Amino acid sequence: MKTETFKYDNRIVRAFAIATMIWSVVGMSAGLLAAVQLFWPEANLSLQFVTFGRLRPLHTNAVIFAFVGNGMFMGVYYSLQRLCKARMFSDALSWINFWGWNAIIVAAALTLPLGFTTSKEYAELEWPIDIAITLIWVAFTVNLIGTILKRREKHLYVAIWFYIATAVTVAVLHIVNSLEVPAGMFKSYSIYAGVQDALVQWWYGHNAVAFFLTTPFLGLMYYFLPKAANRPVFSYRLSIIHFWALIFLYIWAGPHHLLYTALPDWAQSLGMVFSVMLVAPSWGGMLNGLLTLRGAWDKVRQDPVLKFMVVAVTAYGMATLEGPMLSIKSVNSLSHYTDWTIAHVHTGALGWNGFIIFSMLYWLFPKMWNTQLYSVKLANWHFWLGLLGIMFYAIPMYWAGVTQGLMWKQFTPDGFLQYPNFLETVLQIVPMYRLRAVGGSLYLIGTIIGIYNLWRTAKSGVFEPETEAQAPARADLAHDAKPEHGHRWIESKPVLFTVFTTVAILIGGAIEIIPMYLIRSNVPTISSVKPYTPLEVLGRDLYIREGCVGCHSQMIRPFRSETERYGDYSKAGEFVFDHPFLWGSKRTGPDLQREGGKYPDAWHYNHMEDPRSTSPGSIMPPYPWLYTQRLDTNSLPARIAALRRVGVPYAPGFENGDAQKDLATQAARIVVSLRVGSITNAPADAEIIGLIAYLQRLGTDIKSAPAAAQSTEGSVPVAALTSNPNP
Amino acid sequence: MIRNVLSDIGGVGLYGVVSICLFFLVFTGALIWTLLQRPSLMRAMGDLPLSDGETHTMNEGESRHE
Repeated sequence: MKTETFKYDNRIVRAFAIATMIWSVVGMSAGLLAAVQLFWPEANLSLQFVTFGRLRPLHTNAVIFAFVGNGMFMGVYYSLQRLCKARMFSDALSWINFWGWNAIIVAAALTLPLGFTTSKEYAELEWPIDIAITLIWVAFTVNLIGTILKRREKHLYVAIWFYIATAVTVAVLHIVNSLEVPAGMFKSYSIYAGVQDALVQWWYGHNAVAFFLTTPFLGLMYYFLPKAANRPVFSYRLSIIHFWALIFLYIWAGPHHLLYTALPDWAQSLGMVFSVMLVAPSWGGMLNGLLTLRGAWDKVRQDPVLKFMVVAVTAYGMATLEGPMLSIKSVNSLSHYTDWTIAHVHTGALGWNGFIIFSMLYWLFPKMWNTQLYSVKLANWHFWLGLLGIMFYAIPMYWAGVTQGLMWKQFTPDGFLQYPNFLETVLQIVPMYRLRAVGGSLYLIGTIIGIYNLWRTAKSGVFEPETEAQAPARADLAHDAKPEHGHRWIESKPVLFTVFTTVAILIGGAIEIIPMYLIRSNVPTISSVKPYTPLEVLGRDLYIREGCVGCHSQMIRPFRSETERYGDYSKAGEFVFDHPFLWGSKRTGPDLQREGGKYPDAWHYNHMEDPRSTSPGSIMPPYPWLYTQRLDTNSLPARIAALRRVGVPYAPGFENGDAQKDLATQAARIVVSLRVGSITNAPADAEIIGLIAYLQRLGTDIKSAPAAAQSTEGSVPVAALTSNPNP
Repeated sequence: MIRNVLSDIGGVGLYGVVSICLFFLVFTGALIWTLLQRPSLMRAMGDLPLSDGETHTMNEGESRHE
C-alpha cells in the first residue's frame, strides 16, 4: 500500500484563532455597553451611533458571526484536515474565506452604528453585505466539500456530517430570508410582509441558532472532546441518531418564536410539538459528550481544556432543555417578551459557544506553537470568572423575566391591571440589570485573562505553520473497498450525503412556509388597512434605523392582560403592508401596536427629546439628533418604487410629485398640531416629524373599520373585518 | 381568527400528520440503520479523531501544561 506524505495547514487555523480572540473582546464589550445603558442611558455618550437600538444588533452580530463564526471556522479548518487526512482543498479559498468573512464583519461594524439595518434579527445587514456573505459562504462550502472529496480517509466521521449540514442549511436560510428589493445602496425592503415575513424570519432566526451556533459546535465537540480526553466518543451509534434526529427536527421549530401572535395556529402548534421533541436528540448528544469522559473525570479536575468543555456541554444540555420548555405555549405566554429569553440565549452563547471556543483555543495553542500552556493557574482564573460571569448574568435575568412577566399579568381583585403603568414593571427589575452588567464584566475580564495566557503561550513556543502527516493513498483505499450498504454506504459518498441532508432540512421548511406563500387567506385582508403614507414610510424607516424594534414589540397577544394594557389584539391582516414586519421579540418598553392616537403629537415630540420629561425614571435614551437631522426626501421615489415592487399598491407614478405633495401636507399638519401643544419651533422637514407620523398611524387602521364590524369584534373578530369573509 | 384561518386553508390537520409521519420514518430509519452496523465498524469510526496521521505528535503522552 502506497503511503503519502502531506502537510496540514496551520496558518489558516492561527488566523481564525486570532480573529476569534479579537472579536470576542469587541462583541462582549459592545454587549456590556448595551447592558450598562439599560440602567444608565447616558452611557451612550449622547452619540446616536452607540445608542442601545443600534448597539444591540452590533453586539449580537459581533458575538454570533464574528466571535463564534471565527471560532467555528478555526475548529473546522483544524479538525476537517485531520479527519480527512488531507490538506484543505484550496489554500486560496481558505484565505478568501478568512479575509472575506472578516471584511464582512468590519462592514457590519461600520454600517450597523450608522443605522443601515433591515431590522430582522441576526439578519440586519443590508443587501450588498448579504450578497458578500453568500459569496464567502459558497467559498467555504466549496473548500469543505472539495477537501472531503480529496480525503485519504474512507469514512466520514460524524463531525464532518455536522459541518456539511451547517454549510448547506446556512446557505438556504440566508438566501431565503434575505430576499429583498433594494431602495438605494444601503436600504432595502423584504419581499415578504407581515405574517409571512415573521414566519420566514423566525424560520431563519431559530435555525441560525440551530445551524450556526449548534450543529457546527456539536461537530467540534465530537472531535475535540475525544481528542482532549484521549478516548473515543461514548457511543458512535448514538451520534448517528443524534445527527439525523437533530437536523430533521430543528428546521421545524422556528414558529415557537411566534406563539400567541397573529401567526396561524397550525403553524404555532407544529413549531411547539417539534420543539418539545427536540429535547430528545439534544440530550442524547449531551449525554454522549459527558459519558465520553467516563473514567476520565480525574483529568477534568486538572485540564482546563476539559473543564471548559464539560461546562460547555452541560450548558448545551441546560439550554436545550429550557428551549423546548419555553416553546410550550403556556410557559411562553409568561416568558415571551421578557428577560427570560435573554437569560436563555446567554446560557447558550456564554456557556455553550463561549466555553467550547475557549476549550479549543487552550487545546490548539500549545499544539500549534509546540509548547506548553503558559499558566494553568491563569486558565483556572479564566474558567472561574467565566463561570461566575454566566451565573451573575443568567440568574438576575431569570429573576427579572419572571418578575416582569408576572407583573404584566397581575390583576387586582376588582379586575383592573395591578401595574397599569408599564414603567413600574421596568423600574422593578433595574437592579437586576445592574447585576447582569456585573456578570458580563466578570466574563469579559476572564476572556481578557484567557487571551493574555494564550498570547504568552504563543510567545513561549515556535509556531508550526504546517504539520507533516502520512496516510495511505486514496486510490489504495478505493481498491481495497468492499461493496457498502446501509449508512456506511451513504457516508462514504459525501455528495449524496449532502443531498440527503439538504432534503431533510428542506422538508421542514417547505411544509411550514409553502402554505403561507400559496394560500392568501392565511392572511385575512382587512379592508380598512391601507399602505403607509410617504411621510409614514420615512418615519417607519427611521423607526427601523434607530432599532426601536429592539425594545418595543408591535404584537398584542390575545390575553386579557394585554388587551387591557394595549388595546385590541393584533390581527394577521393588519400587517399586509409591513415590509419588513416589526413585531419585535422583547419588551424593554411597552408594545406600540396601538400607539396611534393614544397621545397628542406634542407628547411624542417631548418624549423623544427627553423620555424622562413625560415618563419619570424611564430608561429610554433621548433622541436629540432626530430634531436636527432632515428627512431624507431625496430617497422617497426609490423607496416608494421599491415598496411597489414588493407588492404595496401605490399608484403608478405616485413617487413623481404626488408623494412629495402628500408628504408636505401631512408634515405641515403635524407642525400645526405641535403648535397646539405649545411647540412652535418644529421644522416640518425634521426627522422627528416623520417618526411622529408613523407612531400616530400605528394600529389605527382597524379603528376606522365600519362600525358594524367593530361591534361584532370579540366574537368573530377577523371574520367580521375581512373583505372576503368565509362563506 | 384562528377558526377563520383554519377553515380557509382547509385540511390543515394534514400538515401535522405528514410532519409527524415523516419524522417517525426518518427517526426509525436512522435507528434501524444504526443498530444494524457492525460493532467493529462503529469502534473504528469512533477512533477516527484519535488517528490523524501526524508524523510527530507534539506533547503526546505528556501534560500540555506547566
